Amino acid sequence: MSMGDGTEGDFDMTTRQEQARPTDIRVEVAASGHTTESGEVKPRSIVFDASRLSVFYGDFRAVRDVDLPVIQNQITALIGPSGCGKSTVIRCFNRMNDLINGARIEGTVSYHGIDIYQDEVDPVELRRRVGMVFQKPNPFPKSVYDNVAFGPRLGGFKGKMDDLVEESLRRAALWDEVKDKLDESGMALSGGQQQRLCIARAIATSPDVLLMDEPCSALDPIATLRIEELMLDLKDDYTIIIVTHNMQQAARVSDRTAFFSVKVSDEGQRTGYLVEFSPTEELFTAPREKQTEDYITGRFG
Amino acid sequence: MTSVSPEQVATAVALRSSTSPRRRVVDAVFKLFLWISVGVALGTLITLLIDLITEGWPRLNSDLVVNMPSARPERAGIQSAIFGSLWVVGTTALISIPTGVSAAIYLEEFAKKDRWYNRLIELNIQNLASVPSVVYGMLGLAFIARGVLSFGFTVMTAALILTLVVLPTVVIASREALRAVPNSLRHGSLALGATEWETVYRQVLPAAVPGIATGTILSTSRALGESAPLLLVGALTFVTFNPEGFDSSYTVLPLAIFRFISEARIEFRPLAAAASVVLLIVLLGMNSIAIFVRNRFEKKLR
Amino acid sequence: MTDVTDTNLHFHQGLDSLEHEVLGMVDRAEQMVAMAVDAVCTGDVDLAAQVIKLDDNIDRTYLEVHGHWTHLMARFQPLGSDLRKMTVLLQLNQTFERMGDQCVNIAKVTKLNEGLPRVERMVEQIREMGDLARPMIRTAIEAYVRQDLEEARLLPAMDQPVDRLNANMYKEIIAVGSNPEMLEWASKIMMVARALERIGDQAVDFAEQTAYLITGERAEFVKVGLSRSVDDSPS
Repeated sequence: MSMGDGTEGDFDMTTRQEQARPTDIRVEVAASGHTTESGEVKPRSIVFDASRLSVFYGDFRAVRDVDLPVIQNQITALIGPSGCGKSTVIRCFNRMNDLINGARIEGTVSYHGIDIYQDEVDPVELRRRVGMVFQKPNPFPKSVYDNVAFGPRLGGFKGKMDDLVEESLRRAALWDEVKDKLDESGMALSGGQQQRLCIARAIATSPDVLLMDEPCSALDPIATLRIEELMLDLKDDYTIIIVTHNMQQAARVSDRTAFFSVKVSDEGQRTGYLVEFSPTEELFTAPREKQTEDYITGRFG
Repeated sequence: MTSVSPEQVATAVALRSSTSPRRRVVDAVFKLFLWISVGVALGTLITLLIDLITEGWPRLNSDLVVNMPSARPERAGIQSAIFGSLWVVGTTALISIPTGVSAAIYLEEFAKKDRWYNRLIELNIQNLASVPSVVYGMLGLAFIARGVLSFGFTVMTAALILTLVVLPTVVIASREALRAVPNSLRHGSLALGATEWETVYRQVLPAAVPGIATGTILSTSRALGESAPLLLVGALTFVTFNPEGFDSSYTVLPLAIFRFISEARIEFRPLAAAASVVLLIVLLGMNSIAIFVRNRFEKKLR
Repeated sequence: MTDVTDTNLHFHQGLDSLEHEVLGMVDRAEQMVAMAVDAVCTGDVDLAAQVIKLDDNIDRTYLEVHGHWTHLMARFQPLGSDLRKMTVLLQLNQTFERMGDQCVNIAKVTKLNEGLPRVERMVEQIREMGDLARPMIRTAIEAYVRQDLEEARLLPAMDQPVDRLNANMYKEIIAVGSNPEMLEWASKIMMVARALERIGDQAVDFAEQTAYLITGERAEFVKVGLSRSVDDSPS
């Protein structure tokens, strides 16, 4: 410990708050490279990049000015109180918001550098590459096999469907439980199994991103943990964005966490905005923003 | 014998006497009222059935079904009416079901709900369902039997008119069936990269089949029982042949019954009763087929 | 100022009570340092016995704190500054328990040195070390209670003279000469010096934990070039 010989130089004891805040999240993201096996430090590639994204329903602004770069092969979690717009934001990434009458965006959302809201982009094609799993498991009222095969069949899959179905079910950690029941209805499975079926179904179209909107909130604790384990496993091959209202879950599975909050206008309208977007460890042990600190310690303004 | 604690006694008393006698009487009276209502409805139906069967009993034999109408009661049968009904109702189903279901799909899945013309259609379908069928008969007389289409007094004319009568019901029932399909199904399909049409065709429609089947049962039953509009377009009551094509003349069971009843000679009464029984049997038969179809599909959806 | 509701009240109450328990330990430890130094310098065996008894209290509290801590952790899975405080309190629990043990070591020497001839010079130095160590503990407590980073940063400099005094003890032993009884007494006193040096380190550790709690960054207060406040003159 203290050896005190009185000659060594200064030790920087300024607090993080005292240090200059990075002006652009992307600069920080780019700086946080990862080390490959050869020892090389490569900058991380950004799969989705939301830039000054605002979402409007008619005249009402539901989400305001979000800057969110999502890094490849990481799990990014969106947390925050209800009404803060986290589901709205995630639905921009596969343009499911288009289905809502009067929904429009300002700002840009790029996927591998391409602005997905421009006219040339076909949302149907986008959705084949960006899979989604919903809060309440929604298997089709078809057999397990047909559930998984639905996506590939749409795309005119010409290969061996049996193999694709098996592989998708294996990857979703469901194969062993359903391999003898492929013809049975997908709706006859338990809640946790249904959700894994939905994951298998999403994986079957070989997406590179998986969007998960509170995937575990309708499940019991054990089913939840199984899906969390699965996510950690899937992250090797997919980029995952998860919306969750469970802070502990975000802390368990994600690499980076975005904390959203909500501002209520005088007319009672709730607009969501991004408060902080940091590496998960940092956000949950020593967050930068007081709002984040208050939220995670249970003190609400 | 273990002693009972005062706590237990108090609890036992409280649990026993929680409902006042007055509440229980009201409860019982209400239940009685419900039973009476059911009893009346069932009783009426059973009485009707018994009445019909007893009255028609002498004539409920194969002759009835095999014979053609005749001036002589002993020899009169309703074969032409049976086949006529089957032809007319069959054709009606063939036309109304695809049209009605397609209209429902358009209105439910593709129409933008805020457009004025869609709102107008929405409003008027309910109205159309309540229009008396005679009005459609007059419409048919003017434009289908004569006028623009000039199909004359044929099976096709009858089918088209009955289509007009039952189409609103088919559309409404199909819409309800489509609406009952949860949105989560559509979202799940779209999120996988299906187009809107693929979603409707491969997910929503199959899931809505039970409801649509129910709707078609109702409408077909109604078509079977219609007589007024067909009278207006010259459905003959005395027809001794079965329809040979869409352009054939015809008669239908309700009209045959009508004819038997209006005959002065009381020997025709049993025929009317017997024909009514046959009508009911055909109705039941059609309904059973439709229910069977619905159950098959519902099982697949479980 | 916006109104802030604490929806985690039960946890925060539990945390406050845990903190209170831990700080109680350090208060007692400060007391024990004073008593132990007194005892060994005056040869008061009874006082030394009291010190040892006080340590029993500390040891008991240590176990209780441990239990309460685990209980809180399992129930509430805290985050943010709450999590940091929990880790700090667990660390401090151990640190203060060790402080108590060091005081016991000092007290034991009193008994061992009973009847032996003393070296006054060394006694003075022990007193001086004690007089340096106790304000360190005080300062560290103040820094924690007031969450004052500047004050916490004073500690490494305060530890300097204590370390130096300890390092120079061996010179004193050499100066004793060859009297076997005196040598025995002196070598035991060296243990006391070492114990006091450790107590000083533990006070610095306390301040490091405080700094971590405030800033969220782990760092050891290693080097002196801070030249913040305490002016230390080289011995």
